[in-house]
Amino acid sequence: MKSKFSIASALAATVVAGALTVASAPAVSKDIVLNMAGPDWGPTRFLQEYFNKTYKAKSGNNVKLVFDFIPWPSFYDRVAASLTSGEKKYQMIISDSQWIGTFIEGGHFMKLNKYIDADPELQAIMKDIHPAMTENYSTYPHKSKNYYGFPQFPDTKVTWFRNDLFCHDGERADFKAKFNQVLPCSYDEWKNTDWDVWANVGKFFRRDKGAKLGDGVAEHDFYGVAYQAGKVGDFSSMQILAFIWQHGGDIWDEANAPNAQAEGVVNSAAAVKGFQHYLDILKYAPPVHKTGQMGIFAIQELFMQGKVGAIIDWAGVAPPALDPKVSKFADKTGFAMTPGLRKSDGSIDRTDNIGGQPFVLTTWNSEEVTKEALEVVKWWMSKDVQIEFSKNGGEPGLMSVMNMPEYNDFLPWNRAHAELLQYQKDVWHTPEMFEMLTQQQEEFDKAITGQKTAKEAMDAIAKFQQELLTEVGKIK
Amino acid sequence: MRDFWQWMFSPSRRGPMLIAPALIMLFVMNIFPLMWSFGLSFFHYKASSIRPPTFAGLYYYEKVLTDPVVWERMQTTALIVAMSVLLQLVIGFALAMMFEKKFPLRREILMLVLTPMMLSFVAVGVFFKLFYEPTFGLLSQAYSYFSGEPLTLLATQWGAVWGIVIADAWMWSPFVMLLVLAGLVSVPDYLYEAAEVDRASKWKRFTTVTFPYVRGLLLLALLFRTIETFKIFDVVYLITNGGPGTSTETIAVYVYRVAFQFFKTSQSSALSYILLFIVIVLTNLYLYFVKKRGEEG
Amino acid sequence: MSVLMSLFSRKERRLREAGWGWTLFAGIISLIYFFPVLWIIMTAFKTRADALATPPVFFFTPTLDNFVAVFYRVAQTGSGEAIGTGMGGFFFNSIFVASAGVFLALIIGTLASYGFSRYPLKGNDTYLFVVLTTRMLPPIIVIIPIFLMFRMAGLSGSYIGVILLYAAFNLPFSIWMMKSFFDELSPDVEDSARMDGSSEFGVFFKMCIPQLKAGLAATAVFAVILTWNEFLFALLLTSTDTRTVPVAMARTIGGEIGVEWGLLAAIITLFLIPVFGVTYLLQNHLLRGVTFGTIKK
Repeated sequence: MKSKFSIASALAATVVAGALTVASAPAVSKDIVLNMAGPDWGPTRFLQEYFNKTYKAKSGNNVKLVFDFIPWPSFYDRVAASLTSGEKKYQMIISDSQWIGTFIEGGHFMKLNKYIDADPELQAIMKDIHPAMTENYSTYPHKSKNYYGFPQFPDTKVTWFRNDLFCHDGERADFKAKFNQVLPCSYDEWKNTDWDVWANVGKFFRRDKGAKLGDGVAEHDFYGVAYQAGKVGDFSSMQILAFIWQHGGDIWDEANAPNAQAEGVVNSAAAVKGFQHYLDILKYAPPVHKTGQMGIFAIQELFMQGKVGAIIDWAGVAPPALDPKVSKFADKTGFAMTPGLRKSDGSIDRTDNIGGQPFVLTTWNSEEVTKEALEVVKWWMSKDVQIEFSKNGGEPGLMSVMNMPEYNDFLPWNRAHAELLQYQKDVWHTPEMFEMLTQQQEEFDKAITGQKTAKEAMDAIAKFQQELLTEVGKIK
Repeated sequence: MRDFWQWMFSPSRRGPMLIAPALIMLFVMNIFPLMWSFGLSFFHYKASSIRPPTFAGLYYYEKVLTDPVVWERMQTTALIVAMSVLLQLVIGFALAMMFEKKFPLRREILMLVLTPMMLSFVAVGVFFKLFYEPTFGLLSQAYSYFSGEPLTLLATQWGAVWGIVIADAWMWSPFVMLLVLAGLVSVPDYLYEAAEVDRASKWKRFTTVTFPYVRGLLLLALLFRTIETFKIFDVVYLITNGGPGTSTETIAVYVYRVAFQFFKTSQSSALSYILLFIVIVLTNLYLYFVKKRGEEG
Repeated sequence: MSVLMSLFSRKERRLREAGWGWTLFAGIISLIYFFPVLWIIMTAFKTRADALATPPVFFFTPTLDNFVAVFYRVAQTGSGEAIGTGMGGFFFNSIFVASAGVFLALIIGTLASYGFSRYPLKGNDTYLFVVLTTRMLPPIIVIIPIFLMFRMAGLSGSYIGVILLYAAFNLPFSIWMMKSFFDELSPDVEDSARMDGSSEFGVFFKMCIPQLKAGLAATAVFAVILTWNEFLFALLLTSTDTRTVPVAMARTIGGEIGVEWGLLAAIITLFLIPVFGVTYLLQNHLLRGVTFGTIKK
């Protein structure tokens, strides 16, 4: 059936192509290959597969998108190696938002302003992209008007929770009796959840093996809450920074270099308080948190195997939670907004660190290749394609898609994700970012594993950043 | 032309001709890159930057040698090397003793013990991390079955070091075993026969005949495994990622970060050269012992 | 005769017969040692829930889904099509690159070792030491300059680049080991063949090589084990088309879902088969390779 169809369509294409050739003789179609580096996972596979299925270049050229799927754990190393070795292999690259400074300054990522200014279609797309994404995925220097990237997979952290526990009448009554608070179940209840409630959930659902849990008994030791606390990559930082920001602390502000300082800012009393708050709640998490190995996949696993009641994790790694093959609670999982810090006026501050990846064009492409690459960008950022992407586990970059009423039904976490976007900030984008992040992760890990206090860790981070940034002239 | 070939293949040039391809290959693939990085270590250079290199003199050597982080990483590496190699020697020796006999299915059973060496580092790293995981891990579950408490092995420096050492020693003890076994099976029969005539006890026979005979090989195993373990990278990276904090961050992991994540190319080159120096010293030690053993015999 | 000489005299001592009782004892110990590998192989046949079950399960309904998933996955577009993962190609790359690299190293290494053994140069030992030193370096040291060099030569991502690199990587080991075999052959036989009018090529290929089959086999096995699981060079210097299994394997340890236990275990299991087979077939020659030939002097 399939082969018949493709033969028929190939015939049709030939006929159409023949007709076109006759009609416009000078237009010679060229073969153009766009090599794209991307991490090997769903959102990029979708891009490749959907492109192969549906893309037709308007220019009549034969445009091919060829993905180099690189395993996530080695993705940065491989891309960085390719770029700095000058092999000039890729025409387009999916970049983590934090890397863009490194590779823009290395002369690898292309500035897009010229093309955007000349193309009303691109202007319309840029306008439709959520401001949090333009700011964090595209601008360099941070928050400037120089544009470099487009969202490939915008990501935020959301709360994953067990419906069967949080919406269980008996548990809700017990929680109410114990803490005089509502055990969150509905979207609005979660929206009104602050860190105090979250911590109480941690205390409340800590059940020993054999104790009552929901309608049954706990088959093994059960824990209430977990969020990431891992040394690998950016794991701990992505959660800790949320606490620091919410408490009024800040990171070194690259947009105000060279006047912004690290010492006194990074280790401000508010920042230390935020970090301490994070550590205080961390103790309700499953025992793996003591090892500093509770990364985004560790908590995902604990959740899917039924060892923890609620976690805060990326929407990007949520699809497996709905897959009965890998999650024991695929039909009992709910998603909601993340908790935040309750302020004196009663509102909740949910400032958080954005995730996800933009994709960029490289500087060594010919004008013709750039043009075709931008056509692919326009195709990808078109509403229809973004809708199809959203229906298959992706997240759209366009506000017009997120504003569609049916968007919330595409995926169970969409509503929370879209609402959380406005609170997203990002870590630094400067080339020194990897060193700063690595050192920061080490210090955070020391505090998480009890080798240091929160204050000592934050002081060490501030001192290191002050020295490093002074040395490269970014702090005066 | 014919003269040329004759000249080239004349007996006096036969040695150099045979060796040349190998030396050329090693020069291109190893020695030349080394000299290159030696040069880079005297310049300010970042592989990720478009800025051209500028001369830096001994700046990076001074920086590396006075950097407390480097010394910390060296100590960590030394600790892991010492523990792991010692464990490999003990386990390797014990296993070799076991196979120093003729018994049915010996070849097949020997294969079971050799397999860990053939696994990829990803396999060993990822699965040992799972074994240590407090909730799902086999080891942790066995531990909590008896103690009632979850085992968080990787939470402390010593626990994490042990975690790495166990995985590494498990993987490479078979290597030591092969070496020791080679020694054991070559102990001349007459020595044992003499010991039997003397009615020496089993223990005495071991200490007076067997052990002295394989001591040389053990020394070689010690040095060889030391040099190899000194490079330990993948297992650390996968099991602890250098944590908790920086407790298990070895020098190889550190070089990797400096070179490939921070792109401080000059600094990593200088550091590499200092490591090279250490490796050459170790290699010479190794050869010295080999030679000494050879002469003693 | 030195202790170490006797090790390579190819005469095994008459080992004591230990019978089935020892088989049982050694079998149990070896099985315990083998247990982590066994667990990985079992995981390859488990569903995710079984792989992570607490308490762990030893008896379960085996599934072949993981092995199918090694080669095929479901389309992301939701159309339900099966799409190739390219893993077959990666297996081919691994086998091709490892065999070509080892083969090249054996040819060049054998020639060079013949030269080192039969036509010693002035400073022969120095050359040999330099050769050995290159093998003892942490690969991380040379990767930076090799990287820069490959970028200039346009070798990044090509088969040729990786093969040359693996050949150079195996060369020192091949030279040292083959030299110890050549040293063992008596040159007198070769000389008398020359007297009888045999050409140099004849002497080398017709006299030496047939006697060294076992040595070549042992060298090959060790080189294969070391090359087979190489990760760092392969990650940084291969591209989509030339990627090897150890690099591609990393896909299963972090995408949407941490570690895909069953899938990873299935890849490890499949990837173990070739190297296990080669080792088993050539097991008897293995003991010779373990010290990288430095024992014989």
